[in-house]
Amino acid sequence: MQKEAVIREPLILGHKTYHDITEDVCRPIEDKAPKMWYILFGIALIIGLYGVGCILYLLGTGVGVWGLNKTIGWAWDITNFVWWVGIGHAGTLISAVLLLFRQKWRMAINRSAEAMTIFAVFMAGLFPLIHMGRLWVGYWVLPLPNQFGSLWVNFNSPLLWDVFAISTYLSVSVVFWYIGLIPDFATIRDRAKKPLSKKMYSILSFGWSGRAKNWNRFEMVSLVLAGLATPLVFSVHSIVSFDFATSIVPGWHTTIFPPYFVAGAVFSGFAMVQTLLLIMRKAMSLEAYIHTKHIEYMNIVIMVTGSIVGTAYITELFISWYSGVEYEAYAFLNRATGPYWWAYWSMMTCNVLSPQLMWFRKLRRSLLFTFFISIIVNIGMWFERYVIIVTSLHRDYLPSAWSMHYPSHIDIGVYIGTIGLFFVFFLLFARFFPVLALNEVKTILKGSGQSYKESPDYHKHH
Amino acid sequence: MGMTKKYWKGLEELKETPAFIKSKDQEFPNQQAIEEFLGDDSLNESSTTRRDFLKFLGFSVAAATIASCEAPVTKAVPYVVKPENVTPGMPTWYASTYYDGCSYTSIKVKTREGRPIFISGNKDFGFTNGGVNPQIIASVLGLYDSERLAEPTIDGVSKSWSSVDSAVSSAIKSAKKVVLLSNTIISPSLTRAISEMELSMNAQSPSKFEHIQYDAISYAAMREANLKNWGAAIIPSYDFSKAKTIVSIDADFLATWLLPTEFAGQYGQTRNPDNKWMSKHFHFESVMSVSGSNADGRGMIKPSEQASVLAYLIKGMGGSTSVSSNLNPGAELIAARALKALKFSKKESLVVCGANNVGLQLLTNKLNYILRAYGTTIDANNPIQLYKSEDEKVQKFVSNVIAGKGPDVLLVLGANPVYSLPNGVEFGKALKNIKTRVSFASHMDETASLCNYTCSDHHALEAWNDYIAKSSEYAIAQPTIRPLHNTASALESILVWSGKATRGGKDSAVAYDYIKNTFQGLFPLGDFAFTTHNSCAALSVMPAALTFQDAAISSLPQAGDLEVVFYQKTAIGTGLNAGNPWLQEMPDPMTKVTWDNYITMNPLDMEKGGFVTTYDQEHGLNLATVTVNGTSLTLPVYPLPGQTLNTVGVALGYGRGGNGEKIGKAAYQTKEYGGYDLSENGNSKPIGANAFPCVSFENGTYQYYGSGKLSKVDGTYIIAATQIHHTVMGRHSIVRETTLDIFSNKDKEAYNPSFTLQRLNKEGHHEDAPLAEFDLWDAHPVEKIGHRWGMTIDLSSCIGCGSCLIACQSENNVPVVGKDEVRRGREMHWLRIDRYFASDEEATVGLRKDKETFSYDKAELAAENPKVVHMPMMCHHCNHAPCETVCPVLATTHSNEGLNQMTYNRCIGTRYCANNCPYKVRRFNWFNYPSYKKFTEVNPAQDDLGRMVLNPDVTVRSRGVMEKCSFCVQRIQSTKLVAKKELRPIIDGEFATACSDSCPTNAIIVGDWNDVNSKIYSSSNEKRSYQALEEVGIKPNMWYKVKVRNEENALLDDLQVVKKKAHHGEKKAHH
Repeated sequence: MQKEAVIREPLILGHKTYHDITEDVCRPIEDKAPKMWYILFGIALIIGLYGVGCILYLLGTGVGVWGLNKTIGWAWDITNFVWWVGIGHAGTLISAVLLLFRQKWRMAINRSAEAMTIFAVFMAGLFPLIHMGRLWVGYWVLPLPNQFGSLWVNFNSPLLWDVFAISTYLSVSVVFWYIGLIPDFATIRDRAKKPLSKKMYSILSFGWSGRAKNWNRFEMVSLVLAGLATPLVFSVHSIVSFDFATSIVPGWHTTIFPPYFVAGAVFSGFAMVQTLLLIMRKAMSLEAYIHTKHIEYMNIVIMVTGSIVGTAYITELFISWYSGVEYEAYAFLNRATGPYWWAYWSMMTCNVLSPQLMWFRKLRRSLLFTFFISIIVNIGMWFERYVIIVTSLHRDYLPSAWSMHYPSHIDIGVYIGTIGLFFVFFLLFARFFPVLALNEVKTILKGSGQSYKESPDYHKHH
Repeated sequence: MGMTKKYWKGLEELKETPAFIKSKDQEFPNQQAIEEFLGDDSLNESSTTRRDFLKFLGFSVAAATIASCEAPVTKAVPYVVKPENVTPGMPTWYASTYYDGCSYTSIKVKTREGRPIFISGNKDFGFTNGGVNPQIIASVLGLYDSERLAEPTIDGVSKSWSSVDSAVSSAIKSAKKVVLLSNTIISPSLTRAISEMELSMNAQSPSKFEHIQYDAISYAAMREANLKNWGAAIIPSYDFSKAKTIVSIDADFLATWLLPTEFAGQYGQTRNPDNKWMSKHFHFESVMSVSGSNADGRGMIKPSEQASVLAYLIKGMGGSTSVSSNLNPGAELIAARALKALKFSKKESLVVCGANNVGLQLLTNKLNYILRAYGTTIDANNPIQLYKSEDEKVQKFVSNVIAGKGPDVLLVLGANPVYSLPNGVEFGKALKNIKTRVSFASHMDETASLCNYTCSDHHALEAWNDYIAKSSEYAIAQPTIRPLHNTASALESILVWSGKATRGGKDSAVAYDYIKNTFQGLFPLGDFAFTTHNSCAALSVMPAALTFQDAAISSLPQAGDLEVVFYQKTAIGTGLNAGNPWLQEMPDPMTKVTWDNYITMNPLDMEKGGFVTTYDQEHGLNLATVTVNGTSLTLPVYPLPGQTLNTVGVALGYGRGGNGEKIGKAAYQTKEYGGYDLSENGNSKPIGANAFPCVSFENGTYQYYGSGKLSKVDGTYIIAATQIHHTVMGRHSIVRETTLDIFSNKDKEAYNPSFTLQRLNKEGHHEDAPLAEFDLWDAHPVEKIGHRWGMTIDLSSCIGCGSCLIACQSENNVPVVGKDEVRRGREMHWLRIDRYFASDEEATVGLRKDKETFSYDKAELAAENPKVVHMPMMCHHCNHAPCETVCPVLATTHSNEGLNQMTYNRCIGTRYCANNCPYKVRRFNWFNYPSYKKFTEVNPAQDDLGRMVLNPDVTVRSRGVMEKCSFCVQRIQSTKLVAKKELRPIIDGEFATACSDSCPTNAIIVGDWNDVNSKIYSSSNEKRSYQALEEVGIKPNMWYKVKVRNEENALLDDLQVVKKKAHHGEKKAHH
């Protein structure tokens, strides 16, 4: 049992017992779903299916149904890809990096953050697939032994690095998440009354018996996976940034991209976690476990990463002028004052100014304000990718090829559709999976639980 | 048993027929010595060998090739007997001649398995020296137009030739008056046939037959003026190659005026600053034309000021005229410079005027006479035979028809008066009063659809023809394919109707015999087969004693508040090829707009009038109605810098086929998801609007200028342009331009500075080092090993005509994507021509006036009368290609000959390569162009007949793959194979890409850069050579050569001085 100073805010509010925690987490799974869940699920499903329809139309007709052109070969597709990958950053950061740093507050949020990560990476992975002109031969990006002759992949291409980075990240995240779920599945299994759900959860829990040996191995595996996942947090978005940084397009070709992209990813990932958790804690009555302190911690992360991102933006501007490279200088001038100035200034407002408001304690502890800012940040981060991709491409070297990008309704449909699909997955998760790592939360009940901190015996015994 | 078993190969052997016994010991039956066979001269003479093999081809090839572009091949039929000079996979070339009533040139036609697939200029024979224009190259597609009339018709119903013949013959016989309305006929055979017809008819009753020549664009004023000045209604020859000073008054002689196929090449010869002298070209015009954009000095004038320019020059040269020489200050400055140059070059000058106005042509003649240009640059003894339109006769005839006093029989040959006459609609309505109306048109066009008989002529590539375009040359056009349809030569029809011949059917030799006969008349000792092989023969010209006589000047264009100019666009011209999708999709050299015509207006005027001056795929241009001569046209207003203030221009040749005529699948507006856009009357909407009704008939000629009114109309109209940004933003590493003075007197650094970077030397000081020394990558092993293909493009001689673009499209099966896709920035052209206007921030295109005060905002706007650079742009085949490194599947790789190769089969379509290409020359197949419904109307590859034009050596790309210029790798390979078979190295100049092959000014040079004796090697090492975007470090295999303008540019001279000073300053600072 870890000792914790009494002046620290408790992480679990109210007079919760171990049983209360089990009840609080398992009740939504065992009870009938509320009406609201069906409504939300229905809406998400309709939007998701519309997106699937758009994707099928895209695959049946050609990439031309998007608003791309000869100058702008990537726009919403890769913007959405980078946006979703960025969102998919928070989960692993919370569960791996914060685990290594022994941040106990992560326990309340890591399960859903990881789930979010996985679903976001699913959505992200969709875009590189469907943006291909010939999806049906997309497997050629894998270095598979083949009979086509001496054909092999190009290890110089950052797109190939992407393939490895994203797939590694996804698989490690899934394993990590699943390992964490096993003891919780076992708890649900033990409580399940219906034979079908008992059967299902017993398969999912891998025969977990709760013995000390199980727990010992669980801890070991978690630590090993956390060690594996930590570098991935930094590598994935660094490699995604190489898609741009290794090119020669003015506005893409900058060495600042890897750290800048990672910071931006954490920034947007935490914002998405905020958006989801603020709703979830209310809907599932988890206010005792995810409360103002958690929100505040996350807001601090948002503030710090937002400041890093802001510094990066300003550094980029400075370097573009300082380098004396004409095309580079123009690319950034054009971002700020060209036809897409509105995208640039949306990005600047959302990503640089809004997180600075978190310096005010009152604001960063305000749930309503946090919810508002979390959405603003994700809008800003979408614009960041749009600004990088589209405004760099639309006016590059030869003015004769300068062009504008206008999204088609399929562009919009696919994007909105992935948001729908994301929520379909997340709502299913909230309905059938323990949204809190209940067995892990139990480990901090005695250290950080409110009732224990307030109890007069607290000091005596410890 | 076994011993007696008899084996036999055929029944002949079993039965031991006498024939078998005879041939048993001969391994090769019926042997004929090849020498004996080839030596048979009668074979050369006869047409049957050709016809025989064409017979075989016509039968089998169509089916075989139509299907050959798609897998699986389902219709392949192998040759049963191989035609003698056709080897599958090997092209056969035929020399021929092209004439369509406007363009004329000597051509070579490339046929594959009997199909003509490519037209290039004939550089060996003919006075045009291989000059071509986009319309000529694109005409090969017209052969496979599935909407061509396939059979003769009576009242729109297909009938046999015999029934048409008997009906027309009897109508002619019983008629009181027969009129043949044709475009200018330059065929001696056809002229002979027509005069025979005339003779026989006039024998029945005098003046029963009348032949009127009528061209959509008339040059009657030139002939009239020459009649007055020289006593002969001729158009003399012009030789631009001898002109040290060229003054053009609204004559777009490089693209549309008179004989651009010849003039462009001549002009190109004088534009090389490396030669002893370079011409000075002054241009005065209202609408910025291709020629005007190439001028060394360009004056913006109204049409009504043309006379003043001429008068100014005449007076300046010491002549006298009563015409006022008052000019606007800008134009006067240019005119003064022109005068200075004319005084210097005297008889080595040439003044041309494009106006169809007798007064202006008289002034032009006078000026040329004062300059003594006759005899040096102008040759009246060898007149041009084109454009013999008789405006007055036409006008009289037309008003007679409209008044109901028309002939009984009207034959229309090569003309489309219902479309191109100012009062064509009225004329069309009145046509029904003529009892027998016969059209020779290839399509159910505006006139043919109002005729009761159509007797469709062959396509030019299917027919025998002969031409005298200039008195000094007789040219032959030979068929390159058996007629695809049941059409007949017009020559034959005329002979049949005048009882001189009988129908010969599909393999008719009537025209052939007749032409041969004409030939023998002209050249009693000539060898017809030999002349056919060369396509032409020289005719001797008689020098005529002509004396100049001054004539009174009258009827000059009148000034108006708003003067409107009706001009021709390079691609569409008079609208003859409006159904040709290649030409419709060819970006206009000046505006870069495709698939439309519009009102051109100076952006300054537009701002005053409240018109938007920028546009893109979603933001259209304002509409306006221009009214001239009571005819109103509502069109979008396009911001064209260099347009004279208070003038507007409208292109002719648009608005064709709006009344349900069938003039080609691609001639109409299409909808976003395919299918035709319909107009209110339920017919397919034509492209653009017809401006011919605005043309007026004044003082005996058709005037292509008018005074009018313009009013803004609500609404906008989206246009499809391939370039929506018009300046180069002062980027000197893309475009380099200088003056002849600086080029001749200063060292290379002054106008073509090499790019250096700074590095630290051993002593720790900064020093400049050439770019080549900074390299992250290993070099490709292409230097000094094997071939390394390279190209140079001379920006000085490139005139921006667009021939290369169409040649590339034809050679490389580039799909046509239609207006909606071009609007979205998805045209597929492998080669484009970038057109940059100078801004007020630049001293020349690409060179900033002042680096400190340079404003990007202002640099986005073209100057009022900007300098222009045309810059062909295609794959640079970089040795450090940025596209190659980023492809995840190695679909684009570098060949060991320096080529950047695209492997379509391997491409998965990530488009990363296109993003990373600094030249933006990669083209993505957004859709399945050969089958997606959106492109049915526009893409010839979706038409069973149209796809016969596809080059079988080049893959038709499928959806989802990237494509780009391959340096015509199929041509490289075949050149290499030919050389290999002959056990010799490739000869320099043996290989040409489609673009370099078709360039009328020879601006493009290709070759093996590793061959140090090659033209390309020396060209790339010249002082003017530079590589665009060199500092990016991609090491292209392509060089541009600095554009040199023969002008005085004080600004540029000053800049040189300032730069030198600054440079010295820098050096001091380092040490």
